[in-house]
Amino acid sequence: MTQAPLLVTRGLTKRFGGLLAVADLDLDVHTGEILGVIGPNGAGKSTTFNMIAGALAPTAGGIEFAGKSTVGLPTHAMAGYGIVRTFQHNKPFHSMSVRENIMLGMHTRMNLSLLQVLLRSRAALQAERDAVRTADGLIDFVGLSAARDSEVGNLSFGQGRLLEIARALAAQPRLMLFDEPAAGLTPAECDRVAGIIRAIAARGIAVLLIEHDMRFLMALAQRVVVLNCGRKIAQGTPQQVQVDAQVVSAYLGNLGVGAHA
Amino acid sequence: MKALAGYLLAALVLSALAFVLGSYQTDVYRKLLLWITLALGYNFLFGIAGQVAFSHFAFYGIGAYAILILLFQVGLPLPLAILVGIAVCVVLSLLVAIPATRLEGFYLALATLAFAQLFVVVLNEGRSITGGTGGLANYRLPDVLGVRITGPWYTVVIVLLMLGTLALLWRLDKSWFGRACRAVRDDAQAAQAMGVNVARTKIIAYAITSALAGVAGMVYAFVDNTVSPVTFGLENVFQLLFMVIVGGSGRHAGAIVGAVLLYLLPVFLSPLIGHHHALVFGLVMVAVVLFQPKGLIGIWDYWVARWRAA
Repeated sequence: MTQAPLLVTRGLTKRFGGLLAVADLDLDVHTGEILGVIGPNGAGKSTTFNMIAGALAPTAGGIEFAGKSTVGLPTHAMAGYGIVRTFQHNKPFHSMSVRENIMLGMHTRMNLSLLQVLLRSRAALQAERDAVRTADGLIDFVGLSAARDSEVGNLSFGQGRLLEIARALAAQPRLMLFDEPAAGLTPAECDRVAGIIRAIAARGIAVLLIEHDMRFLMALAQRVVVLNCGRKIAQGTPQQVQVDAQVVSAYLGNLGVGAHA
Repeated sequence: MKALAGYLLAALVLSALAFVLGSYQTDVYRKLLLWITLALGYNFLFGIAGQVAFSHFAFYGIGAYAILILLFQVGLPLPLAILVGIAVCVVLSLLVAIPATRLEGFYLALATLAFAQLFVVVLNEGRSITGGTGGLANYRLPDVLGVRITGPWYTVVIVLLMLGTLALLWRLDKSWFGRACRAVRDDAQAAQAMGVNVARTKIIAYAITSALAGVAGMVYAFVDNTVSPVTFGLENVFQLLFMVIVGGSGRHAGAIVGAVLLYLLPVFLSPLIGHHHALVFGLVMVAVVLFQPKGLIGIWDYWVARWRAA
């Protein structure tokens, strides 16, 4: 990792009244890398995630993306910078088709004025055609081809998660944030999502993953950061983290991994 | 090209109709076209952008009064009066929208309701400018390039207004802006995460639809050739809401169906059963909401789907 990290947080802290949700957290995420963040409930995973996604302002500390601070930017500005998130509970747009949902993901890349839209300029028509083509490509990439023309309401939960990923990819992010992408999925669907996330990283996109499912995360992440009570208690490869004594006592508990330590 | 041909055909047919109608029928026809125009705009605001706003009919009134005041009191020529009138609607809509869209659903409804009520108060208290409770009368449309537009030709103007409004809203709906509006309504948090500026999208949708209502009001001003505060009462915006819901919220065709049905219902029923037409209206409303929540257009969708499946 000689390259400078794409995302850097230093001393990231969030306080809710008397509660210290995240304390003094340093994270680095590199291009093309999958970084996993784990921790028991209340460890500060979601708070960290929301601060990086721009949905929550840090109490202290800095977040730098590609060398620029993102602290204080409005939430909707993040996608334009190249930071896009998925939601743990799928949030599709119900009144739109699968394809239109994905086309909405290209919002920040549609550089057309309303006048061009109203006059149906050549550029406007071309942009719409390109958007349809890109959306169809992403539908194929995540494996939703069979549901291309479905109403969003008819998708299964697992298909909804795939749509969520395709929509985020449509923004052409440089950093993708996954909020528990395996939650609620069947084992087969988990494997599929894992394959897609690997392919995303292989495209040179930095991936930050927050996950509850240990097996899913350990098989996927190249590096893992473990949080407990808002603090980083360990980091390293999945193998290193799994034998870390602090991690074992804080999180893994009775999973049997402790026997190896 | 296909779309253009469709609009041309519709313009021809709807205009031709204007030349065969009697005077009472012409009045009904013109008002119907205006209701359709308003319902189309309100459908975009309420059905597509999801804003529960009650100011739509007030902007219709603002357009009507603005054009008359600008023409006959300020003394502007017609093209300039139209442009300034649109500007007035846009500025007023921004004054309402910028603070109001920061509020969520219920509070937007309250703020726009207050605005609509305030508008009627201003009309009543406007003395010589608005003509007070009596309103404005004794005027006529200035000649356009030396031509006086009256009778069926003015009905053609209304046809073009309606089709122009439809084309404009249709194009907006089928663009990135329409998708952003629907996304904001469906899930503002997800829309924001995908880079949609939620407040800005709401404000633009509100300003565009309000300006369109204002333009319709300008055209209306020369239909009855008199405007008064009672014409712009609060009940009208609820009528628009019912039209959109009965026809099928979020669908242009739904707005048209709803406007035609709810406007013509009393026209046809009151000679037969008098004021009891309100009862029929209520029953239709309840039946649609209970059995066809997607509106009457949902029935059409059902048969199209069955026909395709067969």
